[in-house]
Amino acid sequence: MVLIIVFVFIGILNPATAKMIPWMFEVMADSFKELGMTVSGMKIDAMTSWTQFFKNIPMALIAFLLIFSNSFTKEYQSGTLVLVLTKGLPRNVVVLAKSLFMLISWTVGYWMCFSITYAYNAYFWDNSIANNLFFSAATWYLFGLLTVCLLILFSVLQNNSGEILLEVGVCVIVGYVLKLIPVTKKFSVLTLADTAALLAGTAKPDSYIMAIVISLVLDCICIGTGVVCMNKKQL
Amino acid sequence: MHSINILSIKNLKKSYGSKEVLKGLNLDIPEHSIFGFAGKNGAGKTTTMKLVLGLLRPDEGEIYVCDKKVSFGQTETNKYIGYLPDVPEFYPFMTSSEYLQFCGELCGMDESSVKARSSELLELVGLAGETHRIGSFSRGMKQRLGIAQALLNSPRLLICDEPTSALDPIGRKEILDILYAARGQTTIFFSTHILSDIERICTNVAFLEEGVIALQGDMSTVRGTYPGNEYIIETVLDGDADKLVKAFPELKAVNRNTLVCQEDNGKLSQVLRYMVDNGIPFYKIEREAPSLEDVFMKVIK
Repeated sequence: MVLIIVFVFIGILNPATAKMIPWMFEVMADSFKELGMTVSGMKIDAMTSWTQFFKNIPMALIAFLLIFSNSFTKEYQSGTLVLVLTKGLPRNVVVLAKSLFMLISWTVGYWMCFSITYAYNAYFWDNSIANNLFFSAATWYLFGLLTVCLLILFSVLQNNSGEILLEVGVCVIVGYVLKLIPVTKKFSVLTLADTAALLAGTAKPDSYIMAIVISLVLDCICIGTGVVCMNKKQL
Repeated sequence: MHSINILSIKNLKKSYGSKEVLKGLNLDIPEHSIFGFAGKNGAGKTTTMKLVLGLLRPDEGEIYVCDKKVSFGQTETNKYIGYLPDVPEFYPFMTSSEYLQFCGELCGMDESSVKARSSELLELVGLAGETHRIGSFSRGMKQRLGIAQALLNSPRLLICDEPTSALDPIGRKEILDILYAARGQTTIFFSTHILSDIERICTNVAFLEEGVIALQGDMSTVRGTYPGNEYIIETVLDGDADKLVKAFPELKAVNRNTLVCQEDNGKLSQVLRYMVDNGIPFYKIEREAPSLEDVFMKVIK
């Protein structure tokens, strides 16, 4: 429920912010003038809104990770998991069922948010000025998907939500560092979250293929390792 | 009659880091017994039970349930076992019958038998009319639901980890009564540090101390291991107790006018003669069999 609200809110927020920017500048124009600045030639269009979308979606992802960070740990700590396992529920089913639920939630939430922004943008402006729009949205979606898979893996390994989130954070930082180094940039899955150049049309989708393949492989490795580790976990 | 062992543990060892919790534990639980597993807090009772359930990996040793070896992780032997953890927790959004339904599906029971068995068990544990969600249950109610879910698939072995420790005296009595009532259906293996619970319902007992079984057997054998019958002599006059102690130094004064005489030193008849000769009046002279607590204290000292 909280997740639906977050995704819908951000979906509406993007075009709303874009709409509000000129109004905000008008309100503040006087104080700008006092500072000797003048604002002119403000152009608001679908691009402004899409830029907002990719700026705000990380917040939705963080909220998503926070909400699901105790999906496993809560069960370890309260002992509900031990009861169902001793009743005969196979351990790998636990990991796969929870993974499926999280991945579906992310997919539905993300694309719902996207659709809302898309619909408002189409109503107010014209979506066609954004280049590679669906491709950009898909790469960011895959980036989110990978963090969710990492969350699942660390949830199996750790018993504490804080540690889980920290480790997901460390992985993102590692990806970021790899992206900064020119040699490894191509392999960093963090490039999936770089959508500005794609939208502006200065980057080609081809250059993302390596990162997409790597992220999909990592997704499978995370879930697979999660299943193996759960089978070996002492409870 | 040859009775088979429902659970057999051989030379079980388990450490957490450098702390060795179990140091070669051997245990046999005969079928149809109510087996009390006593030990201090932190003695390794829960660890032993989790090892039997395949939730923890043993460092060494073997465990057999119904003659089948327990393997860590996904163990097939769990189908013979019903488990009640010390503080059972359930999904709070379910009602008790929904939870039992869910457990029945996990065990692979068919729907009609789950329904029949659930209503029978909810009746047994006194939750039959309860339609509220588990979230609103008290500890005692959760414990009773825990027993119901543990017995759902008619297990041959019921493992209860300190089922009474967290409960008030009424709740404790209820749980013990339920366990006692379930004895015909299954073998019960329960851990506790409350010895009176064991005296109340158990047929067999084992004491866990320093990671090994210090003593195990049926109740009468265990009680007989330390044949320490004592006589308690309570005099009427305070000074008489002192007089007796002076005459018989082996008597132990418990308080101003109460003395304890150990049976094995054979002094009792002399003490009685002395009391008659000197006209020492008494309130009572009582023979006291050793309680489980006495045995336990001697075992762990």
